[in-house]
Amino acid sequence: MPLENLKKNKDAPINTLIVAGSLCLVCALVVSTAASALKSIQDKNIALDRKKNLLVVTKFPEDAIESSASIESTFTDNFEPWIIDFETGERAEAACLEAMNSIGKDWTEENLTEKYDQFLASKTKNKAVCTRIAAGDDPANVKYREKYSYVYRLKNEDGSTKTWVLPIRGYGLWSMMHGYLAIKPDFQTVEGIVFYDQAETPGLGGEVKSQRFMNWWPGKQLYGEDGEVRIQCIKGAEKSSKHDIDALSGATITSNGVSKAMQYWLGPQGFKPFIDRMKSAGTPNSSVGVEN
Amino acid sequence: MAKAKTPKELVVEPVFDNNPIALQVLGICSALAVTTQLTTSVTMAIAVIIVTAFSSAAVALIREYIPVSIRIICQMTIIASMVILVDQVLRAFFYDLSKELSVFVGLIITNCIVMGRAEGFAMKNNPIASFWDGLGNGLGYGLILIVVGFFRELFGSGNLFGFNVFPLKADGGWYEPNGLMLLSPSAFFIIGIFIWVLRTFKPDQMEAS
Repeated sequence: MPLENLKKNKDAPINTLIVAGSLCLVCALVVSTAASALKSIQDKNIALDRKKNLLVVTKFPEDAIESSASIESTFTDNFEPWIIDFETGERAEAACLEAMNSIGKDWTEENLTEKYDQFLASKTKNKAVCTRIAAGDDPANVKYREKYSYVYRLKNEDGSTKTWVLPIRGYGLWSMMHGYLAIKPDFQTVEGIVFYDQAETPGLGGEVKSQRFMNWWPGKQLYGEDGEVRIQCIKGAEKSSKHDIDALSGATITSNGVSKAMQYWLGPQGFKPFIDRMKSAGTPNSSVGVEN
Repeated sequence: MAKAKTPKELVVEPVFDNNPIALQVLGICSALAVTTQLTTSVTMAIAVIIVTAFSSAAVALIREYIPVSIRIICQMTIIASMVILVDQVLRAFFYDLSKELSVFVGLIITNCIVMGRAEGFAMKNNPIASFWDGLGNGLGYGLILIVVGFFRELFGSGNLFGFNVFPLKADGGWYEPNGLMLLSPSAFFIIGIFIWVLRTFKPDQMEAS
């Protein structure tokens, strides 16, 4: 009996290899089966969680984020997801669709905003949908920046823009911190920020998601008089200061990561072209910039 | 080994008589981290119970084939797979909780209780006894987690399971939350008090001085 032999001479080198090999195989099978079977449910959760955080950062009341149905309906009723081209700052749904089709995604105009995930696009490292950032030019440690990004337009009841929400991210101490920055239509005043996906040290850097840290942001100014990004996290910031956010104590690298993410995403490689464009076009109403 | 224990003994004993945290003082690290709220404590407790029970059973099942030279690695492989499984299930069905527990689910792998039971019990006993032993030790760990979580959430934020119990001063009530309770050291105090109370009733747990 091979099994008997395995048991009797379990310390023989060859049997050690057999046991180790088969154990790994079985465990790998179990883990990968579970991971792929649960993938679609997990993806749905992630998408829903992003929408929920869009509602949180724009201060919707509690009952809007109570259930998945209320999140979905509040989101579709109030938000307009745009896809823009980082370089030109123009709306680029068509170009984005074309680029995604060119790398083998058979999406259509109808389901583009459902399917397009800019973080996955940046992970493809495919030149058609993302650009490699030169090492010295990459304060937020993004490495690959997608070409097309979402911006979310929160509408007032009359259809005018209430808030813009920009997706931002930056590397902290351990992890890529993903967040949403909500700004007023003047593209200068912060309305709020939320980091919805990060794995910083709980209790220290993990406090980026705390209410206390988030409370520092509303009303702060993004750019200085000279048009440079001035918003930053520093130690011992004053509440009254225009640009300074109080850094997290015991988490210098996480706080710096947040500052650098601001530098990058509000700078010329990030949303600056879009912001300049929108500013020069004046306050848009619902029809401006819509390609139809 | 002494004579075989019944399943009931295997499950009940680690909860009070031979509690992994209170007597063996294992697994303290995660007990500090996740106990600021009862919900996360309970989830973590359930996750650890499942992992210890099933990984002990799995280790016991193949114990006669595991070569002595790589036994720890084999146990780790099984435990790690269980933990990933639990993590995947949490992400699929309890997404908010899994975000809250973040890295700590992964850290169950390094929880000394799980390894300790695999090496100390499951390697020498049959799968069924090992399952009960794992379950009991998981319960013992979970009990402490829930006790600590109860006091920390109650005194730290005036809530239980997120529902307000003590009306807070900030909302016009009378209770001023104790910020220390939300910090990790408070878990040490509560575990210390728990051990003290336990050893008052069970003096045989005291170490010889």
